[in-house]
Amino acid sequence: MNLLCIGISHHTAPLEVREKLWFSANEIRGILPLLKQNYACESVLFSTCNRTELYVLTDDGKIEPGLLKKFLIDKKSAADKVQLSDLFILTGGEAARHLFRVSASIDSMVIGDVQILTQIKEGFNLAVELGTAGIFMNRLFQLAFRVGKRARTETEICEGAVSISYAAVELAERIFDKLNEKTAVIIGAGETAELTATHLRSKDLGKLLITNRTYEHACRLASKFEADVLPFDSWSSGLAESDIVISSIETDNYIIQPADIKKANRRHKNVPLFMIDLGVPRNINPDIKKMENVFLYDLDNLDSMISNNLKNREKEIPKVDAIIAEVLDELTQWYSSLEVNPTIIALTEYMESIRKEELEKNINRFDPKDRELAEIITKRIINKIIHRPIINMRNDQDKCLNDRLQKMNIIQKLFGLAGSENKKTHGE
Amino acid sequence: MLLTNCLNYILPPLYFLLVWVYGKAFFASLLPAKRFKTKLLIIVSLVHLSYLISITIIYRHFPVTTVFEIFTSLSFSVSVLYCIIEFTSRRKETGFFIMSIAFFFQLISSIFIKNTTDLPEILQSPYFGIHVSSALIGYAAITIAGAYGLMYLMLYYEMKSSRFGVIYKKLPTLESLERMALTAIKIVVALLGTAICFGIIWLHQVYRGLYYADPKLIGTIVIWIMYVLLVIAERCFFIRGRKIMVFSVAGFLIAIFSMTVINILFSEFHRFF
Repeated sequence: MNLLCIGISHHTAPLEVREKLWFSANEIRGILPLLKQNYACESVLFSTCNRTELYVLTDDGKIEPGLLKKFLIDKKSAADKVQLSDLFILTGGEAARHLFRVSASIDSMVIGDVQILTQIKEGFNLAVELGTAGIFMNRLFQLAFRVGKRARTETEICEGAVSISYAAVELAERIFDKLNEKTAVIIGAGETAELTATHLRSKDLGKLLITNRTYEHACRLASKFEADVLPFDSWSSGLAESDIVISSIETDNYIIQPADIKKANRRHKNVPLFMIDLGVPRNINPDIKKMENVFLYDLDNLDSMISNNLKNREKEIPKVDAIIAEVLDELTQWYSSLEVNPTIIALTEYMESIRKEELEKNINRFDPKDRELAEIITKRIINKIIHRPIINMRNDQDKCLNDRLQKMNIIQKLFGLAGSENKKTHGE
Repeated sequence: MLLTNCLNYILPPLYFLLVWVYGKAFFASLLPAKRFKTKLLIIVSLVHLSYLISITIIYRHFPVTTVFEIFTSLSFSVSVLYCIIEFTSRRKETGFFIMSIAFFFQLISSIFIKNTTDLPEILQSPYFGIHVSSALIGYAAITIAGAYGLMYLMLYYEMKSSRFGVIYKKLPTLESLERMALTAIKIVVALLGTAICFGIIWLHQVYRGLYYADPKLIGTIVIWIMYVLLVIAERCFFIRGRKIMVFSVAGFLIAIFSMTVINILFSEFHRFF
């Protein structure tokens, strides 16, 4: 497999180097056609905040991987910041395995990152649009998407929140069935409060109330999330109608006391109250934890939850690796089946099977003395039919890899050879 | 009779297998177990149904005349009710807990059951069937309410203590566990109430020896009143969450105690043969 992967990631370079090799969609639009023209038959390039990776399918010996490294660095004019050694090179099956690991999100900085598959899809779609992803890249990336999907559905690699703001929302989802019927009040308008509001809104939260010492900040956040603003001096009035309370303001004293909750519970008919204290020092009196039907969590609780989730995700890596091995095997078989010789063998066997079948069906129509002759003649006919296609296929071996793969693929589809060849290779 | 005996021996291992498969799906997230568990539940329920039909045909009565016959019918009712819950709510995480109870009932029944054809006419009446069926489904609902109550409490304490283990990850939300338990409690009130009314009014007419101080009758009425009070507490006084679930589990334990101990040691009324 003449597949090359040239890339830079959090494993090989720090952020200040990685950011120099980040390619926007427009930059990729300029680069991929150039690569096709100069070096490769097929190519896909994608950039995320943690990696930039270029996948190239080349003809044997036509391309020097170091040249591609230099090509990427030159395109970003980053030679002063990025060394050749900051980039990695993988070839053949290892490159494919790496792509599968990336799509399954086990190579990510945060294992189980759900964004990466979408980013790879965007990169691949761009290559399809530019005509630089042909039959091989199409197959490779479809398999990569399958790996990503299977990893998410068949293992628990993406289970459990791994950020403070998402952990808060995940906890709320373990208490309440439908967030669209719930009301949340956010006390504070800082970054974490904003992130939490984003996650809550993405879960179709029913009603969002925001309060902050600086009224304008609360208004700014409220307009962003279609929320209502509560004046800070009367925020406790919102407590009685809230199911979720998230507090993240700077304060020396607890701003929510058990008495506030008792009062709110009476008015809110004892429905469960979920509270997250993101403040340092804490905003909510921890004695509230002891109250019935009140679930209060602080930063330490959320941190321990996150580290627990990360450990659980790491335990799932062997299961994902097994999926990758299985799909990689499928890719290898498919690729082998597209080589010229296996296709010729499969075509010859297919023709021979038709000849034998028809001859066996009609053998009684021949006199016994003519039967040997019928055998010889039918063999000759078949040989003559397939002689020219075989010669043409052998001649194609010198042509561009992509053209050859396409031709083999068409022949296999026309005669329905791929399945039988796959089984044969698998058996071997 | 041979078939009935065979099914009696087969059912406990089948229920054990069912609990094991649900356990593997819940605790180990084993993919084949996740895929196979509902199919196995249907198979076990059908085998159990065949067993109950065979008893009905061979011994010429519904298997509700002795405490151990009631146990096997109760086990079947729990399985069927859980089947309905699984299909309607599409929540499949609670099977391990509920089917463990069904397994327990069936195991006890299979060990101690003694079938007889020698029954008085009163037990062969269809009205008697209605009385007992409503009581049976009522008790199955008590079991399910107790199981959901227990699951609620497990998840409640796990969340309260910030332990985010397998219970936290796999069980349905606290709100839905509470809702399912409350639905089961309402079924208890309706069906156990029907069974009590039917028993008192109809049986008094056909069975002159009806004894109102019968411990089982009193026990059942006490349980029913307890569940009525639970519904009133939840509806009118907004007592929710942990307290209701504690009563739900306690109600289940009291009901089981009443059904076994009182039935075996004290009740004369419910012994018609």
